[in-house]
Formats: sequence, structure tokens, C-alpha cells
Amino acid sequence: MSDIAASGRARGLLILFFAGLVLFLYLPIGILALFSFNDGDVSFPLQGFTTHWYGDALTNPTLLGSLERSLLVATVSSVIAVALGILAAFALVRRRFVMKSAVSALVFSPLVVPYLVFGISLLVLFTALDKFLTDTMGVYIGLGLHSVVIGHVVVSLPYAILTIMPLLERLSLSLDEAARDLGAGPWETFRRVTLPLLLPAIVSSFLIAFTLSFDEYAIASFLAGTQPTWPVYLFAQLRVPSLLPQLVAVSSIVLIASVLLVGAAEVGRRVAERRYAGSLPETG
Amino acid sequence: MSTVDARADAVRVGRRSDRRATVGLLSAPLVWLLLFFVVPVGFVAAYSVGAVRIFPTDGSVSLADWQRFLTGGSIYLDLFWKSVLMSLAVSVVVVLLAYPVGYFLALCVRKRKYVLLLVIIAPFLTSFLLRVLAWKVILGDQGVVNTLLFWLNLRAPDDPVPWLLYSRFTVMLVLAYVWVPFVALPIFVSLDNLDRSLLEAASDLGSSRWRTFVRVTLPLSVPGIMAAFVFVFVPTIGEFVTPQLVGGTEGYMYGNAINDLFTEGLDWQSGSVLALFLLLVVAGLMVLFGRWIQVRNVAG
Repeated sequence: MSDIAASGRARGLLILFFAGLVLFLYLPIGILALFSFNDGDVSFPLQGFTTHWYGDALTNPTLLGSLERSLLVATVSSVIAVALGILAAFALVRRRFVMKSAVSALVFSPLVVPYLVFGISLLVLFTALDKFLTDTMGVYIGLGLHSVVIGHVVVSLPYAILTIMPLLERLSLSLDEAARDLGAGPWETFRRVTLPLLLPAIVSSFLIAFTLSFDEYAIASFLAGTQPTWPVYLFAQLRVPSLLPQLVAVSSIVLIASVLLVGAAEVGRRVAERRYAGSLPETG
Repeated sequence: MSTVDARADAVRVGRRSDRRATVGLLSAPLVWLLLFFVVPVGFVAAYSVGAVRIFPTDGSVSLADWQRFLTGGSIYLDLFWKSVLMSLAVSVVVVLLAYPVGYFLALCVRKRKYVLLLVIIAPFLTSFLLRVLAWKVILGDQGVVNTLLFWLNLRAPDDPVPWLLYSRFTVMLVLAYVWVPFVALPIFVSLDNLDRSLLEAASDLGSSRWRTFVRVTLPLSVPGIMAAFVFVFVPTIGEFVTPQLVGGTEGYMYGNAINDLFTEGLDWQSGSVLALFLLLVVAGLMVLFGRWIQVRNVAG
């Protein structure tokens, strides 16, 4: 079969191309990681091995504060996005209603709106709202983490729905019916049958939303106000060359943490799929 | 009441509770999107024509800002076309880079193709800002490339290659680097879902491999290519971070102009005109290309 797609020589070229692209993708990241262990600034030649940038970073209160804020924003926004995503996915998969295609276009449209445009739209709206509230009631809300959460939920929602829908489509309705026949109410059926079966997709969608939010700069830069999240802080500090090795060190830690997290989720997903293997129909 | 009536009643009640359940499911996500997505965009549209005023300096209702922008009375329309060309070039390059990889993984690899696919996609999980920054380190005056050139005695240390950083070329290179992993997925999916018996049939009928590729495989993977293209074009045309970090004045893009009008120039009304124009262009593209794009292939 494989020889229909490519001759021996073409295959060799494709392997070479693949290896070249992997090198192209990983070399810059690797070089940057190298500098987090360099006992000097971020330029050649290398000065010697050190881990003190890691120590410095982990005792830098402003840096840690921004990481904390990003963890908070990512957690809250992905919990909301996944909850809304489950609701929308159920409606889109299991329900028939008028204007379904319009609803589906609306929920997926944040995928194709540039974050810059969306970020400033929320900025303009929130600023106008604040102006109005100050003038009429003397209330001032201001920008901050809450506005970043609101924006991140909007952009994560389509990804959450897209991750949950395929599994929901594979999930047999007869399981629900069986539970209902055995006397379970709709909520109990959802909580004890559907939700556990959906868990792998829910975990994936949470992780996707979490990583998206944790790394999001454009929207956060307009909406964070005086509470910079990690990417906003990172961008502001990029102008300070002496801080660069610390920033790279933190990013290396974040990278390793996210790889571990995704790996753990993947293992969990496999275990869960094996456990429920009997309840899912074969996929073609 | 006859049984038929009773049954009709039951169906009606069922439908009503069904409808209520649908409304229950949809209300929370739709309200969120309306309040925080549709309303803000609509508000910016109103603001761009002066229908709402926020600051005392804001103009009243008029299309003057739009007119000045569209008739080339400002520099922004030229900047827009420059950015379109840059984004188009980046999208083409990214698709050309990702297609052979998707083809290789989907059709030439039998074992471990998903692991290899993950290897390509994984860099997308690392910080976007850091991936841009890496190139600053590589291409800077004391970066990897210039140091290498110096060591090879090709260039004096006080005479680094100037166009490596802060140029249009750098912005395009870095954008391509950033988006390749993202695009490998839709292309892979479209090729992986290809009915292989079509390839066998073409080969049985005496078609050469090249001809099979051009006449069968390539046309069937067009949806994947289109999706990939749009999903690189949309974020890169609205890009302002990468040019800010590695673009200098030559790499300045349309997105930078919008960002500057909001953060530095503080002319929010003109900024809204520019932003809304960008949104309309993207929306137009989606209407044109929408039928090609399987939104699902993106989150796979």
C-alpha cells in the first residue's frame, strides 16, 4: 500500500523532509532552553553551566504573582468553558431545533475572529460600560482578571464543544434509555451514566482550554488592566535583557509541567477508555 | 377523550418539554456569546461610526473615518494590503511545509503515525511568545547565526548581517515557524480519511504515482488545504505581537496599527474602523471559503 503513495526514492525524500522540519521546529526551542543554564546573558559564546536562573525566578515575587494569576484565570475560564461546552454539545448532538445551523455558526465563529479584534471589542465595551456606571451610579468596576476570564471563555468555548461532540455522537442513546427504564431520573442518568462516559472528552477539552488561556497574550494584554497575567508580564519584561534568562527558565518549567500534564491526561484517557470499552460502539 | 387524542396530547406535551430542554441546554452558552461576543463586536461597529461616544474627544455620528480609510486618505489601507500579502505568503509557505509531512504521515507511515504527528504538533503547546523570542536570540546581532558567521570568518563581529532581525523577512519566517505545527493536523486528517482504494484503483488503471497524486490525492485533500490556509491566514492577518518583537519598522503590520491606535495614539474611533474592517474581510473570506472548511478538522 505504501508504495502506491510514494516510490522508494520519494519516500526517502519525505523522511528527510520530515526530519528537517522536526529539526526546524525544535532547534530554536532547544537553543532557548540552553540559555536557561548559561552563566551569562542570552548571547553567544556560552559562559558555563548554572542553575541559578531557576532559583532567581522562583524567588521573584512579581513573576510568581503573574504565574499565579494565569493559573487562576486558566482554571476559572476553562471550567466555565467546559461547562458551557457540555451544554452546547448536548444541544447540537442530541436535539433538533430551528436555526440549528445558525446556532452552530455562532458558537464556532470565535474560531475565525482575530483575537486582536475581539480583545479591543471587549475593551471598548467594558470601558463604555464603566463610564456609564460611573456617571449614573458612581460605580467603577475596571478591567482585571474577571475581564480576561470573560474573553478566554469565549475563545475556548468552540474548542471545548469540538472536543466533546465526537464522543457524544459515538455514545449510544440506548444507554440513557436503559438507565431511564431502570428508574433513573434525567439528572441521575446524566450524572451516573453520561457524564462518566464523557469524562475523557471533558478532560481533554479542559486541558485544551487551560493551555489556550494560560498562553494567551493578545486578549489579556487589552483586558488585564493592572493585573498582568504571565504572558502579559513576560511580554513587558522582554525589553529587560537581564531578566531574560529567568523568563526562559520559568518557561522551561512551564513546558515540562504541561508535557507531564498532557501525558498524564493521555494515560488517564486510555485507562478510562479501556474501562468503558464495552459501552462504546466500535468506531470505523 | 379518545386514545388518539390522548396520544396526540402526550406527543404535544413531550414536544413542549423537549423544546424546554433544548432552551435549557442552549441558553447559558448563547447568553454568554451574545453578551460577550456579539454585543461587543456590534458595539465597536456602532462606535466606529460615532453612534456611541465614550470620550469627550470622540466625533459624532458620521462616516468620515470610514470614508477617509476606504478612499486611501490615510496610510492604513496601504498597510492593510501589505499585511495581506505578507499573510498570504506565510499561509502558502506554511501549507507547502506542512503538506509533505501530512502526506508522509498519513499515507507512507504505518506504525506510530500518531506519535510522529504529535512530535510535529507538540511545539504548539509551548509558549507562543517564547517561540518568537527564540528567533530573536538566533537572528540577533550576537545571535546564533551571526556568531556562526563570525567563527567561520565570513563576517566581522562588528559587522553582523543586518536584515536577519527587524525586517519583513523575519516576521514572515517566524510566523511560518509558529503556525506549521497547527496546520499539520487538518492536512493530515484530510489525507488520513482518504479512501485508499481510490489510489489502488488509479494505480491498477495504469496511472503513475505522480499522476495519481495530481489527479486523485491532491484534489481530494483540497478541503484540508483550504482549512489549513484559512486557519493560518486569519490569525496572521491580525498579528501584532510578532512584528512588535522581530519586525522593526519594516515588518510593521496592520495589526500593529490597530494596537497602537488603542494603546499609544489613543484614537479609539479610528482603531475601531480598522478593526471592524479586518473583521469584515475575514467574515467575507469565511463566506467565500466556508463550504470548503470542516471546522472539525481543526480540533481533531
